[in-house]
Amino acid sequence: MTRLLDVENLTLDFDTDEGRITAVDDVSFSLEAGEIMGLVGESGSGKSVTAKALMKLNASNAIYGQNTKISLNLADGPVDIMSLRTAQELQIVRGGAISMIFQEPMASFAPAITIGAQMVEQLLIHTSMSALKAQEVSIEMLNRVGISDASTRFKQYAFELSGGMRQRAMIAMALSTNPKLLIADEPTTALDVTIQAQVIDLMKDLVKDFGMGIVFITHDLGVIAQTADTVAVMYLGRVVEKGPVRQVIGNPSHPYTQGLIKALPRLDDLDSPLTPIPGDIPSPLERPNGCVFNTRCSQFLGSQCSGEIPKFTPISHDHMVACHIYQQDQKGT
Amino acid sequence: MLQFSKFFAVRAMLAILTLVMVSFIVFTLMELVPADCAERYVAFKNSQGSVITPEDIQVERVRLGLDQPYIQRWGSWIFNAFQGEFGDSCILRVDIAQLLGQKFWLSLGLCLSALLLAYLIAIPVGIIAATSKNAVLNNSLRLVSYLGLALPNFLLALMIMLFSTVYFGDSLTGLFSKEYRDAAWSTDRVMDFLGHAWLPIFILGWSATAFAIQTVRALMSDEIGKLYVTAASARGVSGSRLLMRYPARHALSPIINSVGFDLNRIFNELPIVALILTLTEAGSLLIEALARSNDQQLAGAIIFMLTASIVALNFVTDIILALTDPRIRKSIVG
Repeated sequence: MTRLLDVENLTLDFDTDEGRITAVDDVSFSLEAGEIMGLVGESGSGKSVTAKALMKLNASNAIYGQNTKISLNLADGPVDIMSLRTAQELQIVRGGAISMIFQEPMASFAPAITIGAQMVEQLLIHTSMSALKAQEVSIEMLNRVGISDASTRFKQYAFELSGGMRQRAMIAMALSTNPKLLIADEPTTALDVTIQAQVIDLMKDLVKDFGMGIVFITHDLGVIAQTADTVAVMYLGRVVEKGPVRQVIGNPSHPYTQGLIKALPRLDDLDSPLTPIPGDIPSPLERPNGCVFNTRCSQFLGSQCSGEIPKFTPISHDHMVACHIYQQDQKGT
Repeated sequence: MLQFSKFFAVRAMLAILTLVMVSFIVFTLMELVPADCAERYVAFKNSQGSVITPEDIQVERVRLGLDQPYIQRWGSWIFNAFQGEFGDSCILRVDIAQLLGQKFWLSLGLCLSALLLAYLIAIPVGIIAATSKNAVLNNSLRLVSYLGLALPNFLLALMIMLFSTVYFGDSLTGLFSKEYRDAAWSTDRVMDFLGHAWLPIFILGWSATAFAIQTVRALMSDEIGKLYVTAASARGVSGSRLLMRYPARHALSPIINSVGFDLNRIFNELPIVALILTLTEAGSLLIEALARSNDQQLAGAIIFMLTASIVALNFVTDIILALTDPRIRKSIVG
């Protein structure tokens, strides 16, 4: 099976007044059609920046690394995303073959334009539909994501809908152009837990129906465990562990992933204390040398960790971790 | 539609209520001026050589109704004010409505033209300043705009007049040429007026423009940074369509909102500009009444009229907002 998306050596700096900030450092992953990949990490880990890079949507002060290669394999050939320049060229990854839904459904709809007008606009940009046909398709999509009375909602503004309804409408809009890849940037974080479950179920159903890939960004390991097939854990712009979601969550190998899981509250043992990862994520202006996690790591080994960037080591098939502990094991045996 | 008429009615009531409260403040200020209208007039007569006794003052007071209680006098003042009647001037002894008459409308016209000019310039320039990444363009716009904010209008007026006097022998003062000053309105008089009015309009609009550019730029930058703009460009909307339909469209409401404040700012400049350019409109009458003759009746009337214009403009912008912004419209109509 050919892969839908290949990201190789994605490196992204921002040129700011305080100096150059590395937001994403040498990140590689790939995704197959119909697969949901979770991208997990704290705020500032670079997960949203990584996702936006797939659409080249980062601010104009973003500088992509020279070896960065992102290719999207479509039916009529691969698209080299890094080489897209003009607005016309970028349309294929902006709302065409790739769609994105954002964390705040309220803020991601323009407040003074009806939901319908925004949906129709997107369809007119990306397809050759007539305005009337685009309206039909939009109402049909709203219906499909479970919005009742879709033709009324079509004429309404985002502020007239409930939070769950807005995110459904956002999903409907994202899927209306039939994209091959959907980027979901914390799509359920701003929603109530019950609504969150509905939206996740909806997204899983839609992936099946549409056969597209999803990059699902969240800081919530619980959501990832329910939703994703594979997961990549990011810390300070680097992927520290990746693999099938059950293996990574069942056998977390990187001290950071272990810490994330220990920090989760447990419903089956209410007396067990929460163990937070000590310290804060360092400022991107003071990126640690060597392993990015070495300043907070409970299993710090010394100069090795603070001097040398760890390479990926397989834990089991497809389950990879970037940590010196395992490299040492390998050398030893 | 019914809800909208209700909103309209409520908003109009609020505007009138505001005016009533303003009138109370204006009226109180008029009262705070030492000595009342009767004394002032009589003192003025005195200086003209007539011999006036305290009895004369008392008679004058009764004639003007100044012996009645404060609230009652305010009541009748505001009642008349709403009908455009402000009584007689303290000093000049002529009907204020007649005295002000077209002078007020001339002033209002000058100020509204200055406001229009300010926004005609500020909206495109502000949008360009907010979106352009060209450092040279941005910095020069910023410089001009700071100059506008920092350079007082009266100084600018003086500089232009000096320049014009030295090089063209015309000091550019007044609103009319001599021959048209007291003539009846005719096409020639209108042309003459327009030939003179551009300078006060330009000077009144000068700092308002600079201020409005800053407002538009700040509002646009604010909107451009919002998530819905990123979301729209993630859907493939780009170029001027993205700019006009998303941030510009959404920055419009707060811009409309700020118009009322700017009229206020222009009014503040009016008397000084009138003084320097020796205009013969309401601004100069205000200076005359406030600073020279202490004519509280006249000053009160002018201040009340200016305030009423601001309240009216705010009322109009509120109605425009309610018609154009769905967030406000829906909160009214439901």
